[in-house]
Amino acid sequence: MKLLLIEDEKALATSIQNYFQRENFICEWAPDYETGIEKINIYRYDCVLIDIMLPDGDGLDAVRELKRKFPETGIIIISAKNALDDRITGLNLGSDDYLTKPFHLSELNARVQAVIRRRNFQGNQQITFGRIIIDPQEHSVNVDKQEVILTRKEYDLLVYLIANKNRVLTKESIAEHLWGDDADLMDNFDFIYTHIKNLRKKLMDKGAPDYLKSIYGVGYKFSEL
Amino acid sequence: MKLLARILRYQIMTSLLVLFLGAGLFFVSVRYLIDDEINKELLNSQIKVSWQLRNIDTLPVYILQLGDSLQLDAVRYPLRPVLREKMLYSKAVNKFYPYRQLIFYEQVEGQWYKVTISKLLIQRQQLMNAVVMTVTFIVALLLISLLVLNNVLSGRIWRPFNKTLAALDRYQLEQHEVLSFPQEETEEFEKLNQSVTQLTERLATTYQNLKEFTENAAHEIQTPLAVILSKIEGLFQDETLSESQLIALSEISEAANRLSKLNQALLLLTKIENRQFLAGTEPVNLSPIINRKLRDLEDLIEQRQISIKTELQPTGPVMHPALAEILVNNLLTNAIRHNLQNGSILIVLSDGRLEVRNTGNAISGNPEQLFERFRKDSTQSASLGLGLALAKTICQVNGQSLSYSIENEWHVLTVTWQ
Repeated sequence: MKLLLIEDEKALATSIQNYFQRENFICEWAPDYETGIEKINIYRYDCVLIDIMLPDGDGLDAVRELKRKFPETGIIIISAKNALDDRITGLNLGSDDYLTKPFHLSELNARVQAVIRRRNFQGNQQITFGRIIIDPQEHSVNVDKQEVILTRKEYDLLVYLIANKNRVLTKESIAEHLWGDDADLMDNFDFIYTHIKNLRKKLMDKGAPDYLKSIYGVGYKFSEL
Repeated sequence: MKLLARILRYQIMTSLLVLFLGAGLFFVSVRYLIDDEINKELLNSQIKVSWQLRNIDTLPVYILQLGDSLQLDAVRYPLRPVLREKMLYSKAVNKFYPYRQLIFYEQVEGQWYKVTISKLLIQRQQLMNAVVMTVTFIVALLLISLLVLNNVLSGRIWRPFNKTLAALDRYQLEQHEVLSFPQEETEEFEKLNQSVTQLTERLATTYQNLKEFTENAAHEIQTPLAVILSKIEGLFQDETLSESQLIALSEISEAANRLSKLNQALLLLTKIENRQFLAGTEPVNLSPIINRKLRDLEDLIEQRQISIKTELQPTGPVMHPALAEILVNNLLTNAIRHNLQNGSILIVLSDGRLEVRNTGNAISGNPEQLFERFRKDSTQSASLGLGLALAKTICQVNGQSLSYSIENEWHVLTVTWQ
């Protein structure tokens, strides 16, 4: 998978690049609008991450350009602006997603994977992890061909965990993924624990090994043994 | 006390003083003139009486005017002549009347006579009465006209002043409003209006600048925060970290996350106050928003076993759809957060009114403080304490009103609109 990151903040760009490299993605970086447009025109990417506030141009123009030339490339806008109008304009222009700074890298990762999966019409859209197979279109989960019935939140949690497999996920990032802006409603993180516990039990009931590891004081990690 | 009433008080006091002094002076001078005149007449009469007594030997009754009297008494020796005022009894009307008397002595054929000429002063009395009455009448007239003038003045001349005052009373800084007034004829009021206009202009500009600064500052903070959070997340993946290091890192991460949320909430609050979310023209139907939100929050509701009852009509206020979402969200999450285990929530949406009731613990302190920023019932809470402040601000900028009340065990938050 090949990504392009158009982002003027070097420190943030390095973090994002490092994160995706561990995912075995190639993540190229363009520090400004001009370089970004240049790269878009030369190379083909699976997904482009665009900061719409660039020192030398409007990221939304890059979205337009990309949409016109390579409509099959996935686009995620990242912006410090939470302006609703920008969000709507961005999505109307054909960007697949919109993420507001600051965000969790695990969240960005999950969104990128979802975009790439959605764009991969011809291929197999299933998510496979160990003995778990998820069909995102059907929202169904199978362990060894046995269906596991999950609630909406448990399903979201599983997809998120698998997207960020082999990584430590903080409780905050999980809470924010599941409840978005309402995440601060969770007066403590017991609530996540309940969902994790239920999910683990349902998977193990169908014979899946215990993929979920709890990291004391930090969060959780989903990995094959 | 009204300015006009104050002025009127002094006006009345001064005019009364002047009038009474004037009346006194008038009284004295008129009286002096009359007395002088009568004295002259008396002295005239004296000359005539003396002449007649010396030359004719008969009593000169005819030379005295009606109402006057002449009396002759024989005396042994003369005294000094006297001019005096005296009350004399009139048998005819059974009353005392004032008289002016001239007493002098005249010798006729070796015999001294005391001659008394008395002149009735009844005309002088009438004149004085007339003077007093006229003065009283003038005073009364003056007072009445002052009062009438005062009323007319307060009604007409002071109208621009009262208008300016009313405009200032209604003035709200958050409206970014500049007060302007029509041209006034009165110079002072025109100056006042100009000053008020300039003041409100400066206020609006300063307020706007401050808001923009806040927004820009909050905005600029987002990028460094994004860097911090991304670096922390990268560090978490480092498997060489010890448990205590991971825990410290996790605490840093939590604090940075919280800072970021606070910043976002403040940014949103500022943006709403800056009116960056303008209401459309169509009312936003709150009913689907409420249902969707309840679905989003269902696991939370289930966990605390809160029973929800809704009575929703498809209606809502005219506002930016995004603000409607935030408003509903904050009201519902507030009702859940402050609810009891096994509590209940009742949501009623009808024309011009959204009511969210929830069971909950009693609130200590002033209910109005609920809407203050960073107001929390406990410091342990993960809440930012900005939820209801946001809801209140949204209502304020859109012309809805948000109020809180307690009815028995229910906490009720009500949004009303036209």
